[in-house]
Amino acid sequence: MIKKILQSIKIIKIGDWFIIILFCALIIISTKFLWNLPQGKYLEIYKNNEILATYSLNQKITKIIDGEKGETKITIDNGKVRFSSAPCAKKYCIHQGWINKANQIIICIPNKISISILGGKKNYDSINY
Amino acid sequence: MTLSTINITDRDHQIAKLSAIAIALSLVEFFFPSPIPGVKPGIANIIILYTIFKFDLRMAIWVSIIRVFVTSIILGSFLSPTFFLSLSGALFSLLLLIIFRNLSPKYFSLISFSLIASLAHIIGQFFIVRLWIIPHNGIFYLLPIFIVSAFIFGLVTALVTNKLLQLNSKK
Repeated sequence: MIKKILQSIKIIKIGDWFIIILFCALIIISTKFLWNLPQGKYLEIYKNNEILATYSLNQKITKIIDGEKGETKITIDNGKVRFSSAPCAKKYCIHQGWINKANQIIICIPNKISISILGGKKNYDSINY
Repeated sequence: MTLSTINITDRDHQIAKLSAIAIALSLVEFFFPSPIPGVKPGIANIIILYTIFKFDLRMAIWVSIIRVFVTSIILGSFLSPTFFLSLSGALFSLLLLIIFRNLSPKYFSLISFSLIASLAHIIGQFFIVRLWIIPHNGIFYLLPIFIVSAFIFGLVTALVTNKLLQLNSKK
C-alpha cells in the first residue's frame, strides 16, 4: 500500500507541485474570504422563546439565569459567549463551547434557555435552509 | 441523382468508441446517488484525459462535446438547466486545456492538466448558476466546498488515467 502511494507520488513533476500548491492556496483564500462571517456585537438571552435580556458582548461577566429546571450560567468573555453550567442531563449546550459569530445560537431545550448573537448586519438567511 | 458518400476514417471510429465509453460512465454516475448534493466525481473525465494523452486534444474536444449532448438526450435533460451546466463546465475546461496545451511535458504531467480542467469545470458551472439559475450572491458560500471537491476528484481522475495509460502501454 505504502509502496503504491510512493509510486504514485513519483509521477508528480515539479510543475504539478506548483499547480497543487496554487490550488491549495486557492482553497484557503476562498474559504477565508467566503466563509468570513461578521463578528457578533450583542447577545440575546431567550427564556421560553421570549427575550429575557440583551447584553453587549464587549465585557467579561457571568450571568445567572433561572430556567425551567434550575440555574444556567452564561459566561461572556470579550466577544465570545458560552454556557458554563446548566442543570440539564446531557449538557449539549455546554459542549457546544464558545460562539462568537453573528447569527450563531445555542439552545438548551430541557431548561428552555437559548442564546443568540446579533451582528452588525444581517447574514444570508436563505442559504441556511 | 448524385450519390454522396461520407468517408469514415479510423479516427472517426476511435472517437465513436471513446465517446461510447464516456457516455456509459456518465450514465453509471447518474444512477449512483452522490453523498453531497451537487458534488459529482465526473468519472467520464477519465476518458477525456485519456484521449488527450493517448491521441490528441482535438479528438478529446470531439469526445467531450459528443458525451455532453448524447448523455443529455439519453437522460431527457437536453436543453434543460442540467444540460447547460454540463455543457458550460465541459466547454470551459476544454477552453483552459487549449490555452494550457503548450505546458512543457518535462515539468507538467497529466495531474496538472486534470487539476486545471476540474477547476475550470467548476468555474464554468458556477458562471451559469450565478448568472441564470440562482442569481443570488449567497451561493458563493458553497464555492469552497466545490473547489475542494474539484481538487480531490481532479487528483483521483489523474491517478486513474495514469494507471490506465500505463496498462495500455504494456500491451
